Amino acid sequence: MSFPPSPRARSGPRRRSLLAAAPAALLVAGCSAGPGDSGAGGGSRPSAADRARARAARDSGELAARYDAVVAAHPKLAERLRPLRAEVVRHAEAFGGTADSSPSPSASASASGTPGSGKAGPSASPAAVPAKPKDALAELAAAEREIADRRVKALLDAPGELARLLASVAAAGAAHVYLLTEA
Amino acid sequence: MTVSEAREAKDRELRALQAALAAEHAAVYGYGVVGGRIGKDRRPEARTAYDAHRARRDALVRAVKDVGGEPVAAAAGYALPFQVPDAAAAVRLAAELEDRVAGVYGDLVRAGTGERRREAADAMREAAVRSVRWSSRSVAFPGLAERGGPASGSPAPTT
Repeated sequence: MSFPPSPRARSGPRRRSLLAAAPAALLVAGCSAGPGDSGAGGGSRPSAADRARARAARDSGELAARYDAVVAAHPKLAERLRPLRAEVVRHAEAFGGTADSSPSPSASASASGTPGSGKAGPSASPAAVPAKPKDALAELAAAEREIADRRVKALLDAPGELARLLASVAAAGAAHVYLLTEA
Repeated sequence: MTVSEAREAKDRELRALQAALAAEHAAVYGYGVVGGRIGKDRRPEARTAYDAHRARRDALVRAVKDVGGEPVAAAAGYALPFQVPDAAAAVRLAAELEDRVAGVYGDLVRAGTGERRREAADAMREAAVRSVRWSSRSVAFPGLAERGGPASGSPAPTT
């Protein structure tokens, strides 16, 4: 599965991009109604926060589909992966997406302008799963790590409460990497 | 952002920094207890975590000073959340300490901006990974008490 490059990745050295992020973060904070304001952007155009949330939901949805593909190819891993996948589904839901057939709060999915974003359907079409269980786990861990890194980048420009949620979910992703590779 | 809003944001950040510092003081104390009870096999891990929390504590002292605050001091002693008579309890305490620290860093992510926010997110990630190393149990939302992620159960200052 391929991840499109983050829009922030194009900016030059890491250091400079971090400095550049600060005024943007201030701007976002200044425009929002308060520290708790992370949803309910009134207008018809999705806000930057809405887009970040939709992206995060989509990432979690695709990750859940990855877990499904690995379990389908390696049923013996099902037990071990079930709790992790369940958490990934909860992440998708927390960002307003759905990664399961179970009902979910439709909080902001409609505001993103892409209904069903974050849903892990057949359209996600994950790449082939490695034949060796160990390799499959390593690939899952790599996907978790990549997404966690992207969330940490995204949280720099997000309104406070969304940033906190992104940080928590990125932390959960890092814990998953540990459980997938070292535990 | 108006001047008063900017001041409010700065106050929020300072409060979050102080809360994180207080939690790191508690974690350093707590890992002292952990180190005394933990099994030999996991002592190096406890030592590494202890050093990591000391480093975070020192960085937070500097950060508080940078924004013009007076860094909170460590309490003389802390009431542990439960008795720690043996190695198993020491492992449980270590996990609790990490969960608590993850919570305050989550608050610092919310209150901070730029590089400070990124560092808080890094610290939150490290705490969550150490927590799962200790407990072998993952939680969906580390540091977010309102979502069922453990964020409490820390040693409380006794003074």
